[in-house]
Amino acid sequence: MGTREKILLALIIISLALLAVILSFGALGAVPLKTIRPLGSFYLYFMANNNIMIQEIYPSITKPSDFWAASTEGVTAILWDYRGLDTLFETSVFFFAIIGSVSVFRYYSASLEEKNKKNTNNSSINTKTSDQGLSLIVKLITRINFVVIIAVSASIAFHGQLTPGGGFQGGATLAVAPLLAIAALSRYFVEDVGLKKNTMLTIRTLGLLIIGLLALAPLIMGLVGGNPYIMENQPKSWAMFIGFPSFGLGVLLGSLAFYNMAELLAVGAGFTVVFLLLTLPEEFFKKILSREVGEQ
Amino acid sequence: MFYLLHLVMLVLMMSIGFVFAFLAIMERDLLKAVVFSAGQAAAYVIVYYLLMSPDIVLAYAAIGVGIYSAVMIIAIKKTERYEKV
Amino acid sequence: MIEEYLEKILWTYMFFVMIATFGVSIYGIVFRPNMLKKIIALTIFGDTANVFMIFIGYRAIYPIKPPVLWTSHPDKNVLNTFVSQSIDPVPPALVITAIVINMAITLLITFLAIQAYRLYGSLDVRDLSKLKG
Repeated sequence: MGTREKILLALIIISLALLAVILSFGALGAVPLKTIRPLGSFYLYFMANNNIMIQEIYPSITKPSDFWAASTEGVTAILWDYRGLDTLFETSVFFFAIIGSVSVFRYYSASLEEKNKKNTNNSSINTKTSDQGLSLIVKLITRINFVVIIAVSASIAFHGQLTPGGGFQGGATLAVAPLLAIAALSRYFVEDVGLKKNTMLTIRTLGLLIIGLLALAPLIMGLVGGNPYIMENQPKSWAMFIGFPSFGLGVLLGSLAFYNMAELLAVGAGFTVVFLLLTLPEEFFKKILSREVGEQ
Repeated sequence: MFYLLHLVMLVLMMSIGFVFAFLAIMERDLLKAVVFSAGQAAAYVIVYYLLMSPDIVLAYAAIGVGIYSAVMIIAIKKTERYEKV
Repeated sequence: MIEEYLEKILWTYMFFVMIATFGVSIYGIVFRPNMLKKIIALTIFGDTANVFMIFIGYRAIYPIKPPVLWTSHPDKNVLNTFVSQSIDPVPPALVITAIVINMAITLLITFLAIQAYRLYGSLDVRDLSKLKG
């Protein structure tokens, strides 16, 4: 390690120690607080409250149903209603990250299709795929778990507006299922089930399309009738759109349920595409790269 | 009393996370580093649970311990295992 | 009295541990030559930043609950009890997207690292910096 690097390391250590001292003396206010911040308290009071007047605490608000999200879960209410635009753009970042990962492989996709055609002609290779992987017990348990994980992820996502959970959590859990199947069985099992790359890309795009349409529908209706309001969940007294249905609390709760389902599809399918591309055998790339070098 | 117990558990889990993070950075063998990193993620899952954020526990347990370590292990298998000095 | 003192010490220790984890991960990002090691350090840095975000939303009280209402038809007393016991729900809502998007970005970087290894046969930044053309 040279002198320059030593100075750099010392500077990093000194600045971080200074930061720790400043933080422990309360630079961000007293972290953590004993009370709750006003914004968080507002969201907690209004997320499941459309009929009770809280006049002592919020005297200026005479109609609580303008501010409710029809959800008993604070995080999901903020994620898809109060701070909905933030999540919309975060989802678009996710979209472009997956697109970037796939575009690294775009160069190879033509050769991949060629190889698949050869494989289907030569069907004796496909029948052998069940011999790959681990022992029979592991394979059987993985097949059972594959279905169970999908069911659990669906339950996490569909209950997202009532209990802890939601689209991101369900999608992350859903992505474990193909990963487990790839590890224990093989990636050919996952493709035989029907989770092919292009199918997954279509499902992911479908989920993002549903999110976009749900977000823009109130805006478009508002442009026709006046007073547009983007990502409107429950009816607002100043906007034109009548809001998404919430039959009391407990059945179908506004747009949050639809957003969660669409996000489950988008996140789960997006990660599955990446795993399918990541687990392509390395010999395949070596062959293509050596051919490219030979042509030049 | 219970508040202090809660706090002690939190401190313990943060310290375990720090130790695993230190081992993961200092380890020359990348496969071991990934395992230590997964240990750090498991400690942080308990930290999130003690900080009363069940949503993050659900997402982070799947991503931090499952998907992330699997992806890194596949990447190490495709590339090289040992870090040069 | 002694409990307050102990609490202050524990919180200060917690901040120091957190900043030390930041320091270790910054060391990994800056000084470690291997690209995969840099990615591991980057994820550790991101996780610690997320934990710090959650700490900001935490409250130093004991009967503390997640921001999930236990009844679907709350009255005024239930709401007051709920708000007095729940954590701030805004930081978890910001962190939950950050975790999933961080994973997607990490996947993208890993893909690029694997591609670099395929083309140049090394993951060491010192070797990669010597390449020309």
